Amino acid sequence: MTKKLSLNIGLLCIISLLQIYGLSRLSLFHVSPDALSIFLAFLAVTVGQRTGMTFGFAAGTITGLLSGNLGLNMLSRTVEGFIAGYFNIPENSHATANQKSRRLYGAVAISSFAANAIFSIGYNPLGYSPFFRIAVLGLLETILTLGLAFLVNRLFLKKNLSD
Amino acid sequence: MQKFFSFFVRHNAYLLLALYCAIASLCIKLQNDDFMTRLRTGSLEFTAYLGDKLMSYSYLLHLRKENERLMLLNTDLLARTLNLETASIDDRNRRKLMADTTVNASRFIMARVVGRRFSDRENMLLIDAGWRKGIKKDMTVLTPAGLVGRVTAVSEHYARVMPVIHADFKVCVVSDPTNVMGVLGWSGGREFTAQMERVPISSALKLHDRILTSDLSTFSVRGIPVGRVERIVPDKLFYTVDVKLAVDFSSLTQVLVAPLKIEREKVEMSGDNAVGEPLQ
Repeated sequence: MTKKLSLNIGLLCIISLLQIYGLSRLSLFHVSPDALSIFLAFLAVTVGQRTGMTFGFAAGTITGLLSGNLGLNMLSRTVEGFIAGYFNIPENSHATANQKSRRLYGAVAISSFAANAIFSIGYNPLGYSPFFRIAVLGLLETILTLGLAFLVNRLFLKKNLSD
Repeated sequence: MQKFFSFFVRHNAYLLLALYCAIASLCIKLQNDDFMTRLRTGSLEFTAYLGDKLMSYSYLLHLRKENERLMLLNTDLLARTLNLETASIDDRNRRKLMADTTVNASRFIMARVVGRRFSDRENMLLIDAGWRKGIKKDMTVLTPAGLVGRVTAVSEHYARVMPVIHADFKVCVVSDPTNVMGVLGWSGGREFTAQMERVPISSALKLHDRILTSDLSTFSVRGIPVGRVERIVPDKLFYTVDVKLAVDFSSLTQVLVAPLKIEREKVEMSGDNAVGEPLQ
């Protein structure tokens, strides 16, 4: 249990740094895929809503400290973990790997879009209209994140999900 | 009591959410607090250090030195050009320049851009000069081509710059040679076009007029090129003016930081302290 927790904390730190210094540079129309959303969704789906939310809060703290926008990052990531928690798969579930993957994609899409919307309401550095920022860019970011989630799921997560 | 605990166990996810949201809201509310500012400064130092290390791999050593030498040369030339241009404008308007605020601009601090974010989540530049090199909040950042932005946060070795292409950035500008004043801001869209506001329809602004920073600006020294008038559309009372920015933000590597414009008396006079008596 402690080993798994330490592993998740380590992964959270690495993915946060990767997001800030790596993925944020791969932008398309000023939005980039969000690896942290995938990680939080995965935790919330496999472990539980409270864990997803707590890790969301921690992820928001790290990214907020690194980007200088602490409160808003905390808020959006916490809500992200909370929403992803509604897609949680109980331990005794008999769902197939494909069904579990679909739940993960659902969690990624909904929670990432919601977190992006909250962030957009609080901070809009490029001066876009709220509709464009939330609906168009939010949707684009969600699609990019889903693409990344699909890739990551195929390469790493599928085995964990089917266990 | 048992009821309370059963309520807590049943709804602990919501309570936890409320707790986290409350902490986050508190952080948003206190973001200008001393402690939060110190925290931001510390994280800025760390972020910039990491960014600097990552970027430095992409620099070839001799190319970097050559750039710095050329930038020094540019610094000198820019200082001279600014002084000459300001003097020429003054002469044309037959005004005597009693207190030239650009005198202070002859000593710039050179800095390298070590981080750049231009996304819907963050829009800023990081430069490798902090308070140790004399950088202070609200100093003007520029290149020989024109205005880049304003320093918004400073740590020991790094500073964060709000670029002209930030929705919250505003600067007082004046056109040359028509001498029309306005406020320049960026309202999103293309990265190389800003908007000049509050230009009365009766003004003599023309297409391709040069736009420079004005003496009315509270942070910027005057005479720094900002761009050229690209489009003028008349509205009811004011013109809608598009300005093509002089600086290409996509290829910024080196910048200059102008000394802080010290005009305490002017700021105090335009504030609530203006009571008609000599200020201390």
